Amino acid sequence: MEQDTIRYDSLDTRPLPKWLTDQRDGLNTYQPQKLEMKEDRSLQISLISTGVVILITLVILTFYFLRKNKKSIK
Amino acid sequence: MKLVYLKIIVIGALLSLPCTTKVSEWVLLNSVPDKYLLVYFHENELTEEVKQQNSEIEELFHTSNIFLKTLQRDEIEKPYYALYFNNRLITEYADKEELLAIANSPIRKKIAIELMAGKLCVMLYLKSGIQEKDDKGLKVVKKSVAESPFGSVVTVVELDRKSTEEAQLVSMLLNVESDLKEIAEPMVFGIFGKFRALEPLLANGISQENINLMLNFFTADCSCLIKDNLPGVSILFNGNWDNPQTALVNKIIDANPHLEHQ
Repeated sequence: MEQDTIRYDSLDTRPLPKWLTDQRDGLNTYQPQKLEMKEDRSLQISLISTGVVILITLVILTFYFLRKNKKSIK
Repeated sequence: MKLVYLKIIVIGALLSLPCTTKVSEWVLLNSVPDKYLLVYFHENELTEEVKQQNSEIEELFHTSNIFLKTLQRDEIEKPYYALYFNNRLITEYADKEELLAIANSPIRKKIAIELMAGKLCVMLYLKSGIQEKDDKGLKVVKKSVAESPFGSVVTVVELDRKSTEEAQLVSMLLNVESDLKEIAEPMVFGIFGKFRALEPLLANGISQENINLMLNFFTADCSCLIKDNLPGVSILFNGNWDNPQTALVNKIIDANPHLEHQ
């Protein structure tokens, strides 16, 4: 613990002991980490990527079956 | 396999115990007092007589938080002893006889007995020598302690700043912070653990609110934050801190669970 008090102009402005201000402000007890909500875009990304995969699959399958059917008609 | 689970439960329980111990009790049981340094300054080589004298001093203070060093220096008129704490000179002594009262005095003995008896703390009221101020502050201290639910486990001790018998203790208390010697105001030192003095409340700082905060500090669960940065300064004391009584504050909290810190 730092023993030396910082400079002050008069006794009224002399800083209070650190243990006292810490106790008053609740800083002597363990402070649990504050959890903050962050913007979550994972659902949107998941839906978009799923949609894109479905569309690509549809396009590929459409072309595949169209080509296949064309050959069988000939 | 079952033995492993049992071991984990026991270790977990032991680890959780220190966190429910109150600050005052934890410091008394676990902290090691900071050491004072006593230096013997001399110019010439140490004689056998002086060596013998210094080993007697070491023997005398073997249960104190002090250690002795000898230091050879030029231009010293007469050898002397000097007491330091954290590189700050506390007092100088001309000979061994003056050192005898360095680590003990009636008030220090009384305070140690109270702490060993399981008291939460001792509030040491250091008078300024100005009657009006001293009476006003003492009234606040006594009222605050009497109205506190922990009042029965707190002892208030008064100390005259000009007491010759307690001059060493006064000097150490006024060195708890660098500016205290220049302040002619009454001061309240919370003494706890193995004679550790908190930085004092003084002048208008001696209020019921601040005294309650001091008691809250002592009755709080000992968090790692307090353990890592323990406030206060050790006072020099020659005594045995083994086997203190169980902390009396626990009985009060057990009977009044609402006093437990949330």
